[in-house]
Amino acid sequence: MTWRVTLCLLPAAGWGVFLFGLPAVLVLATSVGVAVAAELLSSLAFRRCTLGDGSAFLTGLLIGLLMPPGVPLYVPSAASVFAILVVKQSFGGLGRNWMNPALGGFVFALLSWGGAMTRWAAARGAPMSPALPPLEALRSALAATGAAGGSPLAILEKAGYPFSAVDASVVAWINTHVLLPLGTALRPGVFDLLTGHLAGRIGEVSAPLLLAGAGYLLARRIVRWEVPVLYIGTFGVLAGVFGGLSSGQGWLAGGPGFHILSGSLILGAFFMAGDPVTSPMTLTGRRIYGIGLGFLTFLLRFYGSLGDGVAVAILLGNCAVPLLDRLMRRRVPASARGGIE
Amino acid sequence: MTRGDEFRKCLVGENPVAVLMLGLCPAAAVSTRVIDALWMSAGIVIVLLLSSLCMSLIARGGRREGKELRSGAPAGRWLGALAISSCMTASFEIVLLAFAPEATAGLGIYAPLIAVNCLVLSGIDASSRSDSVGGSLLTAAANGIGFAAALVVIALVREVLGAGTITLFPVAGFSGTIAIPALSSDPARAFGLAGGGLVCLGFLAGAVRAVRRRALPVPPAKDGLT
Amino acid sequence: MTHATSLSRGGVNPPDNSLTSRTAAISNAAVPSLAVIPLLQHAGSAARCVVKPGDLVGEGMLIGKADGVHSANVHSSIPGRVLEVRAWQAPDGPPCQAVVIELLGAFEKSGRRQEMRVWESLPRIDVLGRIQAAGVVGLGGEQVPTHLKLAMAPGRAVSLLVANGVSCEPSLSADYALMKEKAREIVEAMKICRALLNPARMVLALGENAEDLVAEFERTFRTCGMTSEIVLMPSRYPQGNEQILLSSLDGTGLLSPPPSSSVVLNVATLNAVYEAVVFDRPLIERVLTVTGLPVAEPRNLKVRLGVRIGDLFDECGGLTAEIAKVVAGGPMRGVTVDSLDMPVTKGTLGVVAFSRAEARARRQWPCIRCGACIEVCPWDLEPTRLYKLIEQGDTATAEREGLSRCTECGCCAFACPSHIPLVALFRGGKEAHNRGSRG
Repeated sequence: MTWRVTLCLLPAAGWGVFLFGLPAVLVLATSVGVAVAAELLSSLAFRRCTLGDGSAFLTGLLIGLLMPPGVPLYVPSAASVFAILVVKQSFGGLGRNWMNPALGGFVFALLSWGGAMTRWAAARGAPMSPALPPLEALRSALAATGAAGGSPLAILEKAGYPFSAVDASVVAWINTHVLLPLGTALRPGVFDLLTGHLAGRIGEVSAPLLLAGAGYLLARRIVRWEVPVLYIGTFGVLAGVFGGLSSGQGWLAGGPGFHILSGSLILGAFFMAGDPVTSPMTLTGRRIYGIGLGFLTFLLRFYGSLGDGVAVAILLGNCAVPLLDRLMRRRVPASARGGIE
Repeated sequence: MTRGDEFRKCLVGENPVAVLMLGLCPAAAVSTRVIDALWMSAGIVIVLLLSSLCMSLIARGGRREGKELRSGAPAGRWLGALAISSCMTASFEIVLLAFAPEATAGLGIYAPLIAVNCLVLSGIDASSRSDSVGGSLLTAAANGIGFAAALVVIALVREVLGAGTITLFPVAGFSGTIAIPALSSDPARAFGLAGGGLVCLGFLAGAVRAVRRRALPVPPAKDGLT
Repeated sequence: MTHATSLSRGGVNPPDNSLTSRTAAISNAAVPSLAVIPLLQHAGSAARCVVKPGDLVGEGMLIGKADGVHSANVHSSIPGRVLEVRAWQAPDGPPCQAVVIELLGAFEKSGRRQEMRVWESLPRIDVLGRIQAAGVVGLGGEQVPTHLKLAMAPGRAVSLLVANGVSCEPSLSADYALMKEKAREIVEAMKICRALLNPARMVLALGENAEDLVAEFERTFRTCGMTSEIVLMPSRYPQGNEQILLSSLDGTGLLSPPPSSSVVLNVATLNAVYEAVVFDRPLIERVLTVTGLPVAEPRNLKVRLGVRIGDLFDECGGLTAEIAKVVAGGPMRGVTVDSLDMPVTKGTLGVVAFSRAEARARRQWPCIRCGACIEVCPWDLEPTRLYKLIEQGDTATAEREGLSRCTECGCCAFACPSHIPLVALFRGGKEAHNRGSRG
């Protein structure tokens, strides 16, 4: 079953490789290879080879997708080793870890090599230097220009953030043929945002492919829909209504669409927050977890300085999961029916 | 139990940091550099020894007078222990400030906290009940060395991985810092943070308990220590 | 005829291939040449053996006498000679003894026309006596001696008597086939039970997939001069469980204490009651379903108790694939047999064979805390937590968290994506706890 999740991630990984080239291939290969090797090493201690369940491969792939392309290879290696040996195996292996291994490795790398983890590379066809992902660019634009007003894409455009030529032509085409007659228009940059023709982590840049993979997982009930949908929904609502407050834009000026598509929110919501091992077991618990994650991510992204806030929010959520499980435990009266005569 | 057994017990079987989980605060905070760990260990050992000596002398004197330090009067006994330990810690700090002020900077707030370190307090408590001065001194020394060993091991790992260096006492022409070529340019700084320290501590505790389990022929009782 | 609402929570819809076995009529299995008849085929204490090796027994002769109140008689299913009385143990039961009989001599009862006895004028105690003498026990899986269920304490009124025709397990269609062929006998047995218990309300519960039997039963009720409700239960497992059935019928929730004034009897048990009261026939045979992927022609067989399970596959056209395991009972609650020599007992609902491919597909992985087991448990239990407690040996806490309320329905094991054998673990846990508390 974990192999199916891996398969659903491969299109997005492929797109990341297409956009970023050889460095992305090296990073992904390293993270997966080292994760598998670490699992083999711990199999010696457990006297049982656990590679067949596919979780080591998946963890390695997720870690690779969370890396910026061009990061020195010892970073994903160390992250994979930490994720497999410390976060997963030292607690007893598959099913017994309380923290998502890929996120644990990612945060370890972020804290250890913060500089390398925030050095970006421009995607193919994006004329950017220095390369900055949309979210970071928005932050620096807001810091520089103060209360500029307008949606995030408008702010970026005004700050001179370079969108690609493909984006310009596609948006122009859609506007002239479809939307302008209806009275609205798409902003330039939407197409780039969707297809990732900018900069970012290897796995962040392919929103439609991630959603397609996630759709398959939801349809097959491998991932329950409550956590990711409530997560993204809550975050979207909060970002839309309150998002502009922290930068002085005012109410209802947050740009929820922009914020959902930037950063690793989609990757995190579907492939890491939805992981059954580290999410609550009960339905109500999962609903609370999803909403809580949305709220935490909103706080951390708009009022914190830790990048896009997704990883830390999910880790905080992981810490709360045992509590949620215990609170939601069924309380049945002693006189209730049951049992074999 | 023989003296050798007592020592071995404090090193592995009941290592204060790894098994009894005492003194975790300084263990996690002061182990970012080896030199800090060495100074902290020195502090704990010295304060432990001196406090144990004082306490067991007082207890022996009291017993001679017929005034037992009864277990029914814990408040008085603990006040006395705190007073003794605070005096010894303050003295140690003053001496350190005079002769090695950079060590005080490295230890920070944890130098005065030696006074209320559970390890020290439990050592004093044990001394007040033990019969022989020599025996209680030995136990204090053993506990202190066990603590020191654990602290230095953690500090070695944390500094090598987290900063790429090993900092020791500057001596003669040696500046005191050994830089490890590959790691010192871009070390894994997470080990220098509290979280990384706790991870190292956890693994050390696991390793010590694994050795302990193998050494003990009889499975230990369910005392929560395994 | 009315429709009832489903069980309030939980339950699963396992694949049900009973269509293949229910279309054909019940066929009589060959009489075994060797019958191994355990003296404990019921809930309670084992019967006391009243024969010794070398004795000649007739068909239907008493070989084990009920020992105490909670016990039942055991009879020989074939005429013959007692070879030995050996130690025996069911895969999920305590050790007891079994009488081994080899076939010898003539059948006195089978194939001969039998005399119908009058029961309407008998006092209740005599009717109960006939049921008890025949060794009738619950044939729906619980194996409670029926005369105990039908004996009423004076002054207590029975509010609800249910004839349970809802199939207790998926893929087992023995009850359906029995209802199709023996509707009249079952209705007459319902009359007998009504006379014994005088319930305020009588219900015949059928599964939704047995809707075609409703017309037949309504006709039979009219002919026999009986009135009873017919309720169709939704086909969701474990709707056939007694407590869940009652809860759906009388509207009380599963979390409230059980009403003590309802009696549920399986239709196969009712058929045995009829045979015992009207024909004085002891319980020596039963209808069961032989099914499974490797079985060539799954069908319902009427078998003599004591026949070897392995021989039954020959009656169904043989095996088309190699079998990995055989389960006595249904695919959800059945018990894996150690060997094909295991005899059919009163509680054997069916025989299900699993192929190697099926066993391989259910390879076990660690628990991934998905919560599917919690979702499907009809009793509001947390199987994943109970399983971990039992694995750590903490059966006392498991007991406190409701282990004894588990009816081993198997919904959790079915829903588990890691294929953890939860039912077997819970059985082991309950046993360990009972052993511990007995000291």
